[in-house]
Amino acid sequence: MKHLLRNTARVYIVLALGFIYVPLLIMMLNAFNQSRINQFPLVFDLVWFQKLAQNQRLIRATVNSLSIAAFTSVLATICATFAALVLARQQFRGKAFLQALLLPPMTIPWIILAVALLLTFFWLGISRSIVTLLLGHVTVQIPFAIIVISARLAATDRTLEDAAASLGSRPARTFRTITLPLMLPGVLAALIFTFAVSFDNFPISYFLAPAGVSTLPVEIYTAIRTGFTPEVNAISTLVFIVSAACALVGGREISFGVRSA
Amino acid sequence: MSMRFGGRWWGLIPAYGWLILFCFVPLAVMFVFSFLSAVPLGAREVSFTFNNYATFFQSSLYSQLTLISLTMAFQTTFWCLLFGYPLAWALSKAVRGRTQGVLFLLIVVPFWSNSLIRLYSWVIVLQNGGVISQFFKLFGISVPGILFTYPAIIIALVHAYLPYMVLTIYVSLDRIDDSLIEASRSLGARAWRTFRRVILPLSMPGVVSGVILVFVPVVGAFVEPRLLGGRQSQTLGTIIENQFVNSFNWTLGSALSFLMLFVVLLLVILSAGISRLRSRAQ
Amino acid sequence: MSKVTIEGMSYHYGALAAVDDIALTIKDGEFFALLGPSGSGKTTLLRLIAGFLTPECGRLIIGDKEMQHVPVYARDIGFVFQNYALFPHLTVEQNIAFGLESRGMPRSEARKRVADVLALVQLIGLERRRPAQLSGGQQQRVALARAIVTEPRVLLLDEPLGALDRKLRAEMQIELRQLQKRLGTTTIFVTHDQEEAMTLADRMAVLRAGKIAQIDAPMHAYEYPQSRFVADFLGVANTFTGTVSALENGCVVLTTAAGDPISACSDQSFTIGQALAIMVRPERVILQKGSDARERVNTLNGYVSYISRTGASLLIHVTVEGYPPLTIFEQNGQRDGELHEGENVALTWLPEHARVLPAESET
Repeated sequence: MKHLLRNTARVYIVLALGFIYVPLLIMMLNAFNQSRINQFPLVFDLVWFQKLAQNQRLIRATVNSLSIAAFTSVLATICATFAALVLARQQFRGKAFLQALLLPPMTIPWIILAVALLLTFFWLGISRSIVTLLLGHVTVQIPFAIIVISARLAATDRTLEDAAASLGSRPARTFRTITLPLMLPGVLAALIFTFAVSFDNFPISYFLAPAGVSTLPVEIYTAIRTGFTPEVNAISTLVFIVSAACALVGGREISFGVRSA
Repeated sequence: MSMRFGGRWWGLIPAYGWLILFCFVPLAVMFVFSFLSAVPLGAREVSFTFNNYATFFQSSLYSQLTLISLTMAFQTTFWCLLFGYPLAWALSKAVRGRTQGVLFLLIVVPFWSNSLIRLYSWVIVLQNGGVISQFFKLFGISVPGILFTYPAIIIALVHAYLPYMVLTIYVSLDRIDDSLIEASRSLGARAWRTFRRVILPLSMPGVVSGVILVFVPVVGAFVEPRLLGGRQSQTLGTIIENQFVNSFNWTLGSALSFLMLFVVLLLVILSAGISRLRSRAQ
Repeated sequence: MSKVTIEGMSYHYGALAAVDDIALTIKDGEFFALLGPSGSGKTTLLRLIAGFLTPECGRLIIGDKEMQHVPVYARDIGFVFQNYALFPHLTVEQNIAFGLESRGMPRSEARKRVADVLALVQLIGLERRRPAQLSGGQQQRVALARAIVTEPRVLLLDEPLGALDRKLRAEMQIELRQLQKRLGTTTIFVTHDQEEAMTLADRMAVLRAGKIAQIDAPMHAYEYPQSRFVADFLGVANTFTGTVSALENGCVVLTTAAGDPISACSDQSFTIGQALAIMVRPERVILQKGSDARERVNTLNGYVSYISRTGASLLIHVTVEGYPPLTIFEQNGQRDGELHEGENVALTWLPEHARVLPAESET
């Protein structure tokens, strides 16, 4: 009986993975398909990749997404590191409240946060710009980063810093040689996580990006609405492969604390 | 004496200052605006009014839309739970070691790529003349693409949010000590009983987190309905988006946003209350 | 290598006095144990000496300097933690060198010192390993090596052998003692295991609820406990309570509630009718089969209720009417013929071997 259950479970996993991956695989196949409207049978052709290389719009949007993600993830992680250290070290009464304060930016539908920011900027006379876009991204990234780093700090032995002090190490040195290295996997995980959050973000970019600055999700959105350009297939395939590779490599190095290492 | 470096309170300022300035203040501003007749720009005269909220209750359109959004969220959450729980369970119990790690990563990887890309892939599959249509055409059955229908939206939403559900449930299932299950079996409980009395309650925190992580964003979803639902499908999310981008009726949009927030908050509190009642009853 | 003096030190956790007005002097080069049950304040006191906690009042003098306001990193101490606290991201060599590098020692000289101390704790060859790759016993030695390589003035150990299994623990106790004798460092050692304290310490302080119950050399405290608490904590104590009924040249006789006369030698002065307690250690009691004539001093009749044979020795539990169970210690093979449970026996002992204790109320 147990065997039956186990095998059924395995089959189920395969089916679920199928559900998750089949549409993506079809999309990727079509990137290499000559057909303009994703018709099978597959005729292998790299034409869409060639068209993609010339599609300045799409390329620029992708580069924008990547740069924004890189910049904001660094900024958010730095802010989060400082905050996480305080939350992990100090005992004070408002701590639970501060931790609860992280919930709204994470759980409120991003569309609401985006329009609230839009509204506020508009009222203050600040027009949409790269800066407003960046501000929005970092805002939604910070809580995730704090949680990831806090988790890592919580798992670190507290007595290690005591040990360092007992050996004659001054606080600054202890931080540099003990605290920081042990915190690093968490910081790295936060960087990767916030990068994904930003790269994938649609609502914030949609509402807060200035005219002329587009990001990849927005381009795909527009493309779908106005008419398919198969180059979207191509760029999507590329992005997916790259992000999958990063996730596979990164996932192995860093466990988010989801699995007991 | 402060022995520790990097724990001073001012470390909180960058992060929390940011959040206050760019999350809580804008929300507060929007809240205030929801009670105004128009956005106060320059010297324009504005008055305090409940009109924006009243509009919601006066027109049946809005309550319908809210209902649609809520239904959408419920259905998505339901399917995510239905498919996600067994998947999480299978992942934690039916496979071990390296396979488990690899499968886990495989489930999470698409989660890391752009959500619009995943959405787009469904467009391709579901459209008229898309893969599904072509597949059935092979058998001579003419099946129109189900793009631009409500089920398409649900499918795309489930596809997008399933990993959240699986992840959170997996975490709480993983924490359940195998010895608890063995103890239950040794006491004579058969598989279903063990599940119902031991595994299910212990995995509840994961289920609740998963439900919240799926339900809340889906209530506010506007991309999926718009792209996959076509002209007919409006939700609360799309209407709000409309106010801000097309109609420029920002005060109304603000009010609608907070109403959505309120509904979501209500449900979250309710579910937290239910789970607390349940744990107290045990 | 320094003398440690503590004067009037107190520390509270909320309303609870973890350390209550403690005064203590530890001699230079001494191996000193802080012994007590959990909650007695011994670990708190150690952490106060180390500087992880700041006392509310009192003075701490190490060598000739007042230290209670000096931060931990400036106190020149070595601390071995209960969980070793080895830096997981550093190798054994780097762990041990950490204290030296913190003091600015050049790499080459530090290396040499590390090698020396690794030889001292017999861990040569493991320099490149990470803590996670070491056994419990090896980790313990690394923790020790790390603490002593800087030649601290005082070495502090917080139940460092607690995580080891019995045999290893016994081995490490001997090694630790020999190491300390060799280095001559003043050492303060916290433990709840009275056997361990007695094996290792030159002198020890028995703590109870934040106060010192007795400071003494281990065997002296065992033979001459000053309170019932210390008597019970350091071993088994067969204790009798009663009132003083007679005083005769250097001995005091008390009569128990059951009417038996118990005597002990003591040079304190007593008054007739005073409430008192007398205890005798299990190894001092002589057990004979059969009953004996009653009403001789220090003689009781009872029967064997349980014999606990643990290899080299026996613990014989005897029930005597009117008293809590008494315990007698005998060496295996000491007695001709077997003893059986249920047998009637007579217990007796010399008044020189019994000790007078204050008649405290049981709290």
